[in-house]
Amino acid sequence: MRESTRREGAWQFLTYTFILLGTVVTLVPLYWIFVASTLPESEFLSSTDPRLLPGDAFLSNFQSLQARENVQFVGSIGQMQEYIQLGPVYFAYDFWHLWNPGAIENSVFIAVVYTLLSLLLCSMAGFAFAKYEFRFKKPIFYAILATLILPIQLLVIPLFLLMSQLDMTNTYWAIILPWAANPLGIFLMRQNMKSIPDALLESARMDGATEFQLYYKIALPTMKSSLAALAIILFLFQWNLFLFPLVILEQSKYTIPVAINQLVGAQRVYYDQIMVAATLSVVPIFVLFLFLQKQFVSGILAGSVKE
Amino acid sequence: MAIRETTVTVPASVSDRVRFLRQAVSERLPSASDTTVGYLFLLPAIVLFAVFLAFPIVYTLYLSFFRFQGVGGETLLWIDTQFLSYRLVSIADLQFVGLQNYTAMFSDTLFHQALFNTVFILVVQVPLMVALALLFAVALDASFVRFRGFFRTALALPVSANLVAYSTVFLLMMQDAGLVNYLLTSVGLGPIPWLTSEFWSRMTIVGAVTWRWTGYNMIILLAGLQNIPQQLYEAAEIDGANRIEKFRYVTVPQLRPVLLFVFVTSTIGTFKLFSEPVIINGGGAPLESTITIVQYIYQTAFIDFRLGYASALTYVLIGVVSVLSMIQLRVGGEDGA
Repeated sequence: MRESTRREGAWQFLTYTFILLGTVVTLVPLYWIFVASTLPESEFLSSTDPRLLPGDAFLSNFQSLQARENVQFVGSIGQMQEYIQLGPVYFAYDFWHLWNPGAIENSVFIAVVYTLLSLLLCSMAGFAFAKYEFRFKKPIFYAILATLILPIQLLVIPLFLLMSQLDMTNTYWAIILPWAANPLGIFLMRQNMKSIPDALLESARMDGATEFQLYYKIALPTMKSSLAALAIILFLFQWNLFLFPLVILEQSKYTIPVAINQLVGAQRVYYDQIMVAATLSVVPIFVLFLFLQKQFVSGILAGSVKE
Repeated sequence: MAIRETTVTVPASVSDRVRFLRQAVSERLPSASDTTVGYLFLLPAIVLFAVFLAFPIVYTLYLSFFRFQGVGGETLLWIDTQFLSYRLVSIADLQFVGLQNYTAMFSDTLFHQALFNTVFILVVQVPLMVALALLFAVALDASFVRFRGFFRTALALPVSANLVAYSTVFLLMMQDAGLVNYLLTSVGLGPIPWLTSEFWSRMTIVGAVTWRWTGYNMIILLAGLQNIPQQLYEAAEIDGANRIEKFRYVTVPQLRPVLLFVFVTSTIGTFKLFSEPVIINGGGAPLESTITIVQYIYQTAFIDFRLGYASALTYVLIGVVSVLSMIQLRVGGEDGA
């Protein structure tokens, strides 16, 4: 008995050590991003005695990032100070002239519009696949599903050519439209919408609801949590897109990943600025992730475990 | 006559008009018996899908049989952007070359190198990551572990880190005088040439990818674990199975479909590798030891302008990924599941 409890204790100790070690290894690079962004370059790059506690150089690092000419990182938001001095009335009057988005604003705008549009398209398509019968339903669905195994980077060449033909290079739409009908999103929505009882839709039909009303008054409200999960997945997907924006966008429309990459590509690499940029790109997502963690988990699960 | 003149026709109020319009619209809307309803809901998604996904896939196949005739004249317009100093305007000059693009691959040593690197990373990284994810999942599933929510969130957090940002951080940490070597030296292990040796630079990529995706896969496996009926473990216990036997004979077989999903998505993920080698290794350094297939395709297409050849490479990669996925599905599906 004593032998077995001792063994049990050793087992628990091992398990905890493993989990803790993994957690530390996972968190150190993230922690280090934040620390490095608050230190002068010379201090966090020092090989003999790197600092591991936050300093107070965040603002000056941020200012040197803002002062760069080739990449506008934080556009209008960063210059808000000047606008305030100009006066709120002037700001409101001349908003469009003053609106000069940097990478952060570009990224946020693209990701938000993309997420909303994609949620609408995917839920409508999912509703159709789950609740209606029509010809070629199966072949169309499998065609969409098949593209899931395709690495999206491989579409860069034809998409680039297509966008040049449509004269859509260097527009927000070039980044938003191609994956708006997201195959994964359509698949997830179809899986989840199947659980809406047909009787519910039928009784609403008896009450004279149109088919579109069934969609937005019954299907959408019951799908709230899956929609939230899908929203996070779509947002992250768009926030992280790198290769396609790199190819198709020019400086004024750079998203965060492309902009950060510009800081690396220069002759001299400004690590302090990179760290600030990295922090700025990571923090909003962390907050989003922490708040919606549960939905994110169930969202991944819905796509993976269900047949 | 006179009476008629006195009846003033009152113009319909706005709300009446709206009501009337609504009624007219809803009468024209398709009903459930209509087979077109499904199509109507599908239409917007299908249009975008056809234009921006299906068409490019077919168009790539078409392009792969052509050679793109040179740069200059009317065909190209050069615009200097920061990273890429061109912008394509039309692709008028295409010359049909048949299967030439495909046969050229046999003697393309850089392509072989890219293929080798990708397969090397695949063979090392995917099993390592899946094993780690499985161990973390099993550990977090143990009944005595506290603060599960915290550990789960912490381990999954890297998924939300921006690809480019995290790659840059790895570039910094892995330098000869970087944080990792500092830690290694301070515990008595010598510095490792993470970015300058061919072997270790590949391992750096392996490490970075593993760091980012292990937690994600752990969450999926954790859910799979929770779906295993508890009775199976109890039955195994009655038969006198120890912890390892229970893991071997209950957990792994029961998890097979989920493990399969993790393997397939990770394999596809490895073939997609682009940002990590581009940023951490400056696009293949040292000595092309980390150049990946997607990166090679990107270079061929957008730096060398061999669009036809790049398209052919794309199709070969699509073929490889599909075949590998199918093999994994076969192997994973054969016994049980």
